[in-house]
Amino acid sequence: MNVSLVADSMHATEAQASNEAVVTLLKGTMPFQVVSEEMLKRIAALARRATYARGDTLYKVGDRADDVYIMVSGKVEHALGLGSGARTLNQVMSSGDVFGWAALLKDVPERLATTTCLEPAEVLKIKGQDLIRLFESEPAAGDVVMSRFATMITKDFTLPEELAQVLRIPRRPEGAALSGLALTMYRVALWLKSPKPYLMIVGFAIFLSFWYFAVEVWRLPRFREMPGLTTVVKEWLSPDPVYGLSVYTPEYYQHIWVSIRRVGIAFALATGLGVPLGLFLGWSKTFREYVFPIFETLRPIPILAWVPLAIIMFTGSETPVIFLTFLASFFATALNTMLGVESVDESYVRAAFCLGAKRWQVFRHVIVPGAMPYIFTGLQISVGVAWFSLVAAEMVSGQFGLGYVINTSYTMVRYPTIIIGMVTLGAVGYVTSALVRIAGDYMMQWRVRELALGGQ
Amino acid sequence: MRSGEAAVAGAGSKLSSASQGAIRIEDVVKIYDPEGAAVMAVDHCSLDIAAGEICMVVGPSGCGKTTLLNAIAGFHSITSGSIYLDGEMLCGPGRQKADPGADRIVVFQNGALFPWKTNLENVAFGPIVQGKLSRREAYEKARGMMADAGLSGMEHDYPGEISSGVRRRVEIVRALMNDPRVLLFDEPYRALDSLTKSVMHEALLEIYYKNKVTIFFITHDLEEAIFLGHRLAIMTTRPCKPKKVLEVDIPHPRDYSVLTSPRFRELMDETLEAVHEEARKAFELGEKEG
Repeated sequence: MNVSLVADSMHATEAQASNEAVVTLLKGTMPFQVVSEEMLKRIAALARRATYARGDTLYKVGDRADDVYIMVSGKVEHALGLGSGARTLNQVMSSGDVFGWAALLKDVPERLATTTCLEPAEVLKIKGQDLIRLFESEPAAGDVVMSRFATMITKDFTLPEELAQVLRIPRRPEGAALSGLALTMYRVALWLKSPKPYLMIVGFAIFLSFWYFAVEVWRLPRFREMPGLTTVVKEWLSPDPVYGLSVYTPEYYQHIWVSIRRVGIAFALATGLGVPLGLFLGWSKTFREYVFPIFETLRPIPILAWVPLAIIMFTGSETPVIFLTFLASFFATALNTMLGVESVDESYVRAAFCLGAKRWQVFRHVIVPGAMPYIFTGLQISVGVAWFSLVAAEMVSGQFGLGYVINTSYTMVRYPTIIIGMVTLGAVGYVTSALVRIAGDYMMQWRVRELALGGQ
Repeated sequence: MRSGEAAVAGAGSKLSSASQGAIRIEDVVKIYDPEGAAVMAVDHCSLDIAAGEICMVVGPSGCGKTTLLNAIAGFHSITSGSIYLDGEMLCGPGRQKADPGADRIVVFQNGALFPWKTNLENVAFGPIVQGKLSRREAYEKARGMMADAGLSGMEHDYPGEISSGVRRRVEIVRALMNDPRVLLFDEPYRALDSLTKSVMHEALLEIYYKNKVTIFFITHDLEEAIFLGHRLAIMTTRPCKPKKVLEVDIPHPRDYSVLTSPRFRELMDETLEAVHEEARKAFELGEKEG
């Protein structure tokens, strides 16, 4: 390979390497392959280039280990020092290989091998200490690189004790092979370390103080009639509430439970029916011709317009509410799933056919997982509209539930209870939506990891 | 294009033992007729590709090369003519579209590793869905093949986590898992930078020397075409058919030093002349359509 980063091949010259070419080279190496472009640039900035003539020794066993080396061109050979516990004794390195990783080991400032040039060689040198400092400032990226170094080293050598020392940067639990749950926990831990949760708290504080001042201190027009923050909080936390509903009354939890149960059943039904319907709408053109026009006619009808029909169709007070809650969710889920199927790149389908998959296998291995990101977007929308239509349904019929609380509190002039109902709805809705998102991340590790590399 | 056959025989004698994977394209015509206005994409195209040959199909973008590839792979039907693989008809009279199968595997322009499967699951996919190997056997074989291709250590990464150059290598390994007779490349290195590209070319040749398969490789990069190919089929612009078949008489195995050899330069000039004319035609055609 005659790609050259150095114009003049003077013996052991060192100079700052051209950044762009270095980034490209680093991208092709095992440890740095998965690092973001920006990080690569910062690593590249640490690199110096050097050339060696045939027969030159780069370093000997026992030398101080300062630099990590990346081959650009040429060939070098390692002869490992005896007693280092290594299995491979001689090893030839060529373009794209990384060696001299002893510079990254914690308590091994010495070289473990003697490295000589077999062909005129060009290398990049990076000071191990510089690299470690950079990784410590960027633990997320550093972590990945270090675990790749570890993989590379275990692949070539058996050096358990040194390997253990490579893993010294604060890191996620198990390197690359993280299970879904551990990865999620790791992300939560990272989130807590970032400024995001604190900004969130500040945002809430501003919102609540505006409510407090607008209603109870400044008594602004239109806000004056609203129940104030302190009134609501007092009522909510009172063991003996004026209007009969607080965290101490069992009815409060009964209302929450009834609403959650209705949404849960409706959401499960909507998912169970909507996802398969959406998949078939997207997959079978004929099926779509039959069904889609009907679907599109029914979809825009507002939930409230279904109320009379729901009451006529279903007996009791529970089933009509669940039916109404189900409807909007079902449409959102089915439509997004269908769009998901359409979003699957034709190349994947073709590739699967090429590899000998039958039609149902393509469906199972390509269409379903390929549509998954859209399906989960759909489910998040779906759980949102489920709450939305639940409250509408509970206001019209039903004897329990948060929508019912809000509506009866209005007719019975219990204003603070309206707010308690609303805030509870918001909180419960947020939690369910977050649960759907977590389930999605859990099922789509590939996407989480892909996005994580994109810097998100 | 009968003049091509002498060249095939010539190239064939230098090829190693590959006994399978000969493609015969006979008088293939493909007419697209989307809105009543027939567009001829391929015009009476004939081409013979010997078993184990690397045939580079060169032509300007949008000239109809990919239509030909899609016909061989079985993604599209043809209007008339026939295509044979080792004497067996893939498509022809009475059978307009070939069935896609694991004997002819496409490596796609933008890469088609399934992003939701790990590299190992991707590589093992073929034998598992065909029911040829059990899941465990397939994973074992996949692990071995990945190690041979220098891809150890990234079995459990997802394709989105590795560089695009490595992704292409994984994709080729995924194809080779099925012992295909033919690999069909649809400009797979188009989006790669030149440094990665040169690494990919050497890696591809290395793989080819180990597994003698027939390679049908579409490209518009002339350097790539001459560096890799036994023969170049230079195609006319829409409708597409071979304009010139050129034998690359630089012996394999090749490495990057051939790029600077005088013979390489000569071939480059010869190809450039033929291609440039077509590229200009394509450009003018494009302007008229646009």
